[in-house]
Amino acid sequence: MAPSFTTLPTEILETIFLHLDPQSLVSVSQTNKFVKKITSERSIIWRHFCKTHFNSWAPRHNFTAKFAGPLSDVDWRALFLYRINVKRETLRKLDHILGTQQGRIRYINEIADFGYDAKETLLKECACPDDAEDVLARRYYANAILERIQREMAINVWKDLYSGKDIPIEKALGAYDMFARTGGDVDFDAITEDLDRIQQAVLEHHPDFRDMSTRTKASTLASSLREQGFEGVPDAARSALRNSFIGLVLRSPTHDSLPLISVAIYCALAQRLGLDARPCGFLFHVYCLVYAPKDYTLDGDYKPTSSSDLDFMYLDPFRSSDEVRQGDLRQVLREMGVPSSEHASFLSDTNTREMVLRTARNIMNSVQTIRQTEAGVYGIHSTWLDAYPDMDNSFYATIWAMMMLGPREDEAGGLSNITSRRRQYLPYLLEHFQTHYPWDVTLLEQYVIPLFYNQPEGQRLMSFVHSMHTLDGMRNPQKPRHSGREDVPFKVGQLFEHKRYHYEGVITGWDASCEAGEDWILNMGVDRLAHGRNQSFYHVLVCDKSVRYVAEENILPVDPSVKPSEAMLKLAGRHFKRWDDENHVFVSNVRDEYPDD
Amino acid sequence: MSAPTEEKKTVVLTTSDNADLTVEREVAERSILIKNLLEDLGGDNAEAIPIPNVNEAVMKKVLEWCEHHRKDPPASQDDDSDSRKKSTDIDEWDQKFMQVDQEMLFEIILAANYLDIKALLDVGCKTVANMIKGKSPDEIRKTFNIQNDFTPEEEDQIRRENEWAEDR
Repeated sequence: MAPSFTTLPTEILETIFLHLDPQSLVSVSQTNKFVKKITSERSIIWRHFCKTHFNSWAPRHNFTAKFAGPLSDVDWRALFLYRINVKRETLRKLDHILGTQQGRIRYINEIADFGYDAKETLLKECACPDDAEDVLARRYYANAILERIQREMAINVWKDLYSGKDIPIEKALGAYDMFARTGGDVDFDAITEDLDRIQQAVLEHHPDFRDMSTRTKASTLASSLREQGFEGVPDAARSALRNSFIGLVLRSPTHDSLPLISVAIYCALAQRLGLDARPCGFLFHVYCLVYAPKDYTLDGDYKPTSSSDLDFMYLDPFRSSDEVRQGDLRQVLREMGVPSSEHASFLSDTNTREMVLRTARNIMNSVQTIRQTEAGVYGIHSTWLDAYPDMDNSFYATIWAMMMLGPREDEAGGLSNITSRRRQYLPYLLEHFQTHYPWDVTLLEQYVIPLFYNQPEGQRLMSFVHSMHTLDGMRNPQKPRHSGREDVPFKVGQLFEHKRYHYEGVITGWDASCEAGEDWILNMGVDRLAHGRNQSFYHVLVCDKSVRYVAEENILPVDPSVKPSEAMLKLAGRHFKRWDDENHVFVSNVRDEYPDD
Repeated sequence: MSAPTEEKKTVVLTTSDNADLTVEREVAERSILIKNLLEDLGGDNAEAIPIPNVNEAVMKKVLEWCEHHRKDPPASQDDDSDSRKKSTDIDEWDQKFMQVDQEMLFEIILAANYLDIKALLDVGCKTVANMIKGKSPDEIRKTFNIQNDFTPEEEDQIRRENEWAEDR
């Protein structure tokens, strides 16, 4: 009998199906009962699709382990269909977010719940074509959701660290990358891969590494890192923001880094290579402590001892591969006037949590430096665009780190100190979140409120969160323009220059007269304006990311030859679909509120 | 190393329809089945090797492929079928080679499977996959003469189950 398609052995059919795309597989499965049975039963095909169609998986799937495990342990078809569904739902919810302001926070968080399963879809939308009808809004929100997802992943790492779980230093510090950067190459896994690659290179150059004494291992690793381009950074560029992000340092071609990050990379590699290295929290400069195994000297001699102290040495992988003598470090402390009773605390090893907090301070300093050196005449500028990672995201990360990892019960001041210290950060957190990321209300709910359990703040935060959800669920009252509304001359989408402060802004909303509170009116001296409070007032978005309320008389529409700045284009997506060059306006995405603008 | 003047070693294969085909050993050994058989028989085997599952016409076709690919590096013993290239790219010579009627195509695939010639099996499967790609269920049925044994109700349900695959 002549062979036909359906009489081919199932193994062969399976091989044929492995060469198909999911759509074609579905088509062929619809031809006949026998074929349908094979396509749905053959798990290997669906596993293949899972592997070849998706790159990033939410950590909860343990995808790598699943893939390496027995085929039959996983319903691969269901998993593939789940991912297809996540993609579809992400796009559907994103359309909703772009369509109306109502329920925006809810839908953003629903997508965020998919975690990294939604990453590829969001990245694709971040890169949507320039001529997409809602290009600015689409890119803005796709990126905002991805950032929101990554923030939660980062916060969870810090939460685990605080609760005493063993978190590798590269992950604890990589959380800052997750907070402040987005892109295909931003992930905890990317950091792990980079470190694994460096480890391989070290072993390739030094095949005898494992047989070396601790002392030789320590300096070999340090010099090997320098050979691979990890040479710290020249002093002038030291405080650059980017030098504090371990993932970025690993990926950047120059590997510029702060001492703390150099030490962290050193320790992460030492850990992989079976070397006991820990950061040392010296004053102003992080060093590295390397310990010999118990009962051995650094030179590998057997020297049994009843003491639990280990033989140790200091290194400064940021500056060189040479050993640093403790005497020199003590000398520096003496010169700085540190009493010798306190020397021990600066010379002993410190923990990962301290390194994260110290990084928070480093990042805060860098952000501060950028703000001070680049401040314009009125402090309103768009230099944030040039800083990478994003300044505000970075700063926000430090507040969260302080919040999640702040003082512990066993530290000075005890329990009462914890809340009071956390209380300090709360206003910054709230201000930042309300201005830039209102959809983080769910993070506030889940991670911050429990920290203030039984405190007055806890109650207040609860009702605040509640009202935000309520507002999000409501339709914004409409502000139509009856009979033209001649008392409100400017429309939503108008690009303007502030008459007095000369900053670039765009109108996002209006009131026929000043509707701010009496306090604000007094503080801002509204009544001293030529037309006082009885002129139209505008909600505006400013190129420095701030949101302001401006009187009609201060709005100076820009000349039609002037195009919006790059900073403005990036920010405008929050309220606008795209820039309309012909009519010289941003196309409103808030028509649900301002139907006639 | 054999001197260039030395006569190339040959083997004789007896097909299912009792045809004896004489072929260079190097070419025949593209088939892992034949290679293992020859190794088991040892030394200079003069006897014909029976290939009871493949007829003369198909065997000739298979040997034509082996001849063309005699210098290919041996297929890597990669068990992980997921690592195989997803692409259904086929090189030009193989594409021409596979321009045969459907019955012959399946015969070649079955022979490659039986003779354990991984690369040929792969080319065959890719060829079939390319015949499926982008077609509707109905078109696939027509192409391969597949009997539709679904009731209209079942068909309807399957379509609903698979809606996810439609847009895009």
